[in-house]
Amino acid sequence: MTDVSPTLAPPAPAPDRSAPPTPAARGGQARRLLALARRDLPATVGAVVLLAIVLAAVLAPWLAPYPGDGSHATHPLDTLAGPGGRHWFGTDAVGRDLLTRVMYGARTSLTVAAAVLTVSALVGVPLGVIAGYTGGVVKDVIMRITDVFLAFPALLLSVALATVLHPGTGSAIIAISVGWWPWYARMACVTATGIRSRGFVDAARCLGVSRIRIMARHVLPNALTPVLVQLSLDAGGVILTSAALSYLGLGPQEPTAEWGLMVQQGQDLFITDWWVVAFPGLAILLTAFCFNVLGEGLRSALDPHRELTR
Amino acid sequence: MRFLTQRLAQSALVIAGVVALTFVITRLVPGDPAVTYAGPRATPAQLTAVRRQLGLGASLPDQLWRYVTGLLRGDWGTSLHTRRGVLTDISTALPASLELVGCAMVLAVVVGVPLGLLGAHLRLGGGRSRGLGRWGRWGRWGRAAGDGSVRATSMLAVSVPVFLLALAVQNLFAAQLGWFPVAGEYTSKLNQTSPLEHLTHLTVVDALLTGNWPVLDSALAHLVLPALVMAAYPVGVVAQMSRAALLEESAAPHARLERAYGFSRLQVLTRFSLRPASGPLLALLALVFAFSLVNAFLVEEVFDWPGLGRYASAAITSSDAPAIAGVTVVVALTYVVTNLLVDLTQAVIDPRVRL
Amino acid sequence: MARRLRLPALAAALAACVASVAGCASGTPPATTALTPTFTYSYPLDVITDWDPATSYSNELVALQNVYESLTRYDPGTGTVKPQLATSWSSTAGGLTWTFHLREGVRFHDGNPVTAQAAKAAIARTIAAQGGAAYIWGAVSSIDTPDPHTLVFHLSYAAPMDVIASSDYGAYVYDTAPPGVKPGALKSWLEAAHDTGTGPYTVADWNQGQEAEVTLDAFPGYWGGWSGRHYRQVVFDHTPDVTTAWQTLETGDVDFRSQLNPELFKEATHFRALGTQATASLQNLIAFFNTAAGPLTDVRLRQAVQNAVDYDGLLAALHGSVGPAQGLIPSGLPGNDPALTRHQNLPLARKLLAEAGYGPGGRHLNLSLTYAQGDDAQQLFVTLLSSDLQALNITVDARPMQWNAQWAQAKATDPAHRQDILLMYWYADYASAYSWFVNLFHSAQPVSFNLSYLDDPVVDKEIDAIPQLTATDPAAERANYALLQRQLLEQDAAAAPLFVNTYQRVYASGITGYRDNPAYPDVVFVHDLEPSP
Repeated sequence: MTDVSPTLAPPAPAPDRSAPPTPAARGGQARRLLALARRDLPATVGAVVLLAIVLAAVLAPWLAPYPGDGSHATHPLDTLAGPGGRHWFGTDAVGRDLLTRVMYGARTSLTVAAAVLTVSALVGVPLGVIAGYTGGVVKDVIMRITDVFLAFPALLLSVALATVLHPGTGSAIIAISVGWWPWYARMACVTATGIRSRGFVDAARCLGVSRIRIMARHVLPNALTPVLVQLSLDAGGVILTSAALSYLGLGPQEPTAEWGLMVQQGQDLFITDWWVVAFPGLAILLTAFCFNVLGEGLRSALDPHRELTR
Repeated sequence: MRFLTQRLAQSALVIAGVVALTFVITRLVPGDPAVTYAGPRATPAQLTAVRRQLGLGASLPDQLWRYVTGLLRGDWGTSLHTRRGVLTDISTALPASLELVGCAMVLAVVVGVPLGLLGAHLRLGGGRSRGLGRWGRWGRWGRAAGDGSVRATSMLAVSVPVFLLALAVQNLFAAQLGWFPVAGEYTSKLNQTSPLEHLTHLTVVDALLTGNWPVLDSALAHLVLPALVMAAYPVGVVAQMSRAALLEESAAPHARLERAYGFSRLQVLTRFSLRPASGPLLALLALVFAFSLVNAFLVEEVFDWPGLGRYASAAITSSDAPAIAGVTVVVALTYVVTNLLVDLTQAVIDPRVRL
Repeated sequence: MARRLRLPALAAALAACVASVAGCASGTPPATTALTPTFTYSYPLDVITDWDPATSYSNELVALQNVYESLTRYDPGTGTVKPQLATSWSSTAGGLTWTFHLREGVRFHDGNPVTAQAAKAAIARTIAAQGGAAYIWGAVSSIDTPDPHTLVFHLSYAAPMDVIASSDYGAYVYDTAPPGVKPGALKSWLEAAHDTGTGPYTVADWNQGQEAEVTLDAFPGYWGGWSGRHYRQVVFDHTPDVTTAWQTLETGDVDFRSQLNPELFKEATHFRALGTQATASLQNLIAFFNTAAGPLTDVRLRQAVQNAVDYDGLLAALHGSVGPAQGLIPSGLPGNDPALTRHQNLPLARKLLAEAGYGPGGRHLNLSLTYAQGDDAQQLFVTLLSSDLQALNITVDARPMQWNAQWAQAKATDPAHRQDILLMYWYADYASAYSWFVNLFHSAQPVSFNLSYLDDPVVDKEIDAIPQLTATDPAAERANYALLQRQLLEQDAAAAPLFVNTYQRVYASGITGYRDNPAYPDVVFVHDLEPSP
């Protein structure tokens, strides 16, 4: 394998878990991290940028130049000012500072992404574990249901559902989650099916441990690892889907700062005042890009089989 | 044979589920469909008549039965905002969307696969002696940069919000530079000088078949930007996937054997690794096809393209439940059928799949 | 600006994926230029919602005003009406009898001659249909036709029939008995894109939902004649997107656009190939408060909202596309009063809220608001209002809706389902402020356009008195309008006029003879135009 991958760094030494971390060992860990970072520079850069975005989102009330513009404030006498010293990203049609709006938009997008992934995993993984571990008719029924949901491309089901719900942040989360959970159910089902026949499960069964307990204590934790990797890979997709939903006017509503909504409201001004579309749009692109790069990096780091395809 | 029947039965079950789910969703659409259909000026008597006409008085199971049998008979209900049959509307809108999606899929294969091949080739250190000789001169860092830019480009293509790309491209190449028309399918004024005869509702094909050159010219110019925007995601995904699949295949024992026989790296990739990688690629394309059909919703919105997406968004803003249901069912059906076809094709190509 | 490529280079690459057509396409001859000069009008909404001249009360007037004609036409320059199908008219008995002399030798598009009997039948049918603007004929008690070219209206109360007959809606003279159409089938025949007008153009083609929605062809027998240069065809393009509209104007594919946005309009004024015209309109945006149900039944809260609106900020943010609302009546109409211009008064708003137990430190208030989907000016107002009200501890739950849905909710049989605030544009039907009062504030059951749900017998009586005053005592009419506006806007606080639109038209600069007539909103009288040679 080494002959086809000359750029790969030598494998990092295994950590010594038996001893408490001495200063030297901590230095070793830092070196390890550094080595890992050097091995996958794009993923590292992605992680750093994402960290910055998360920080900007969390600290928006303190960092943003005009925090009031993130919610209700408007400045009708200062509309459509171009990017410059006072407003780095310019202002929108009601005079709000776009840098502030973009930072607050990060809060909305990251909240929606986190909520969708949590809800989907919380619904999908237990169902998948039950299906995989129980097998038989239960598995068939659950898997056929996921088939039905997976027959809709994610955005389509979200759009159809968002039409029915009163548009808002909550309904966007529900609408996207409904199309997202089946993926985790499937993944957990596959893993659970594999674990079912493993020795420690058999042993637990012989000891008379109840099915629910086995599922909760033994199957679920093992089914979680691949799902966690998938979650990081999916975050970019959720960001894009929620932005698309908002762009169609089916997501959060004014005065909530939301990137997709900002693009939609600014699109008629794109020819004359490009900044109203460009900055929120680039924010979506950057966030999705970083999540995708990071997810890709995590996958190859955790899946040695795919090391090569990095 | 057993595989075939099993797979068909599974698809039928999924389709039944899709129909039921769509029915449930559309029953929840806000507003009174009769009021929407009859218009706000309707008298109570007119409303009662419309309710009867739309079958709204019946019980829920009754409505579901009517809905399902209607779907089978080709009666997909009447759109509340166009007042035409939903199936008629869809059959004129779908071809326009397929035009875009078709272009995107072809570009995905024609551009995406070579891009992935190039990335894999450079990643494997190819081009040092034979093959793509020009790349050899770039040295190790040049090859890494080449592969890196292939990866970065494809990653960018899958990360860009399609509506942003559409707006950016439209603003730059159409509104600012004026190289292409901003929106629409072809210049509507041509309808007076050289009216287009609709045969397939694929404008380019119809113009070609009827020899309508002015419309063909205009239609092609209108097609370029939306088709390129639509292609971004498929090209990116296919490039990523084919690169990964090719690298995996080239690590397989048979690849070493072929290298030992004296085939160049590029030859191994194109002759021996591409074929086994084509199975997963086909499955991916089916997935991307359905995804693109929904992406078309956003692209059509920007380019005012008279396809399924524009029809759907008009339906959404006017709470037009039958139209929303129709679009949802059509897209889901398309997806199920493509998947079925891909599975069957793979079963024919590679008998192992049947196990 | 680079010109648009005829066959863009990239199309060749693309052709491979559509079909192998590049070869055939590159040999394409240039499109044959139309022999008939065509006027293409780019309109942001669906053009046709109703083909029936009796009930039409919406967008389609931009097409129908070129197909149908009325007895007179209003001239905003002089503030008087000019002859159209009627050549002269007079009134007697203190405005209770009106005699119109019809133009001779005029024929409907179906070939029938225009006679007094035909005109009477058309007006009678419009009145009987009870839809659209039929109310304009409310004063008419009977119509006489002493000879084929004389039409006599007998009124139950004095009214300015010459101005009423110039109305943009409901005043069309059309053939009610076109040959070959069964008497009961006229409406459905009209709905199939047929017409029975007398105007310069006749309906040739209608493609609902298509980009080129309506095509009108010249009517060769038009009484105004076709000597000189005229457009022989009119096409109405339905183009919701302003970016598209802008490019089609630039390339010359479109000759006229009714409205872009303030930024693009400014851009257009710098373009030599484009002409621009900004005209104060007779159309204003009004916020209607629900006086019958919900929190706004408390008049103090309505007054507080009125005072919280940042009228001047709204004007500034809309960059010249609107002017100040001076009460309910736009300037240019009798009764307009600049003294009724409002300004934001936050201390007063806070005081009123505090009296009612709301405002900062008081109870929280939630108000629902509905407005037109896709209307940038309305959306901007809603954002500003929400911002100002939030500071007063009031949350606005705003929903953009299609008009049909918005109106249906406003007319919900259960008042609890109706909105607290509704935004709607209103414009004059004929050159009089009467339309605002009788349609918007007169009590009506079932609810129609009276979307403040006001039911005040005193107000009703004063409104009912207007038409007679208009005809007999203009000074008293103005006093009555002043009184009514103070009552409606200050005592009742039933509504808040927000701004008057400024029509910003953009058109090909080669066209001569275009002059915006705000009495007919968005209408271009195409026969009056002269195309560039």
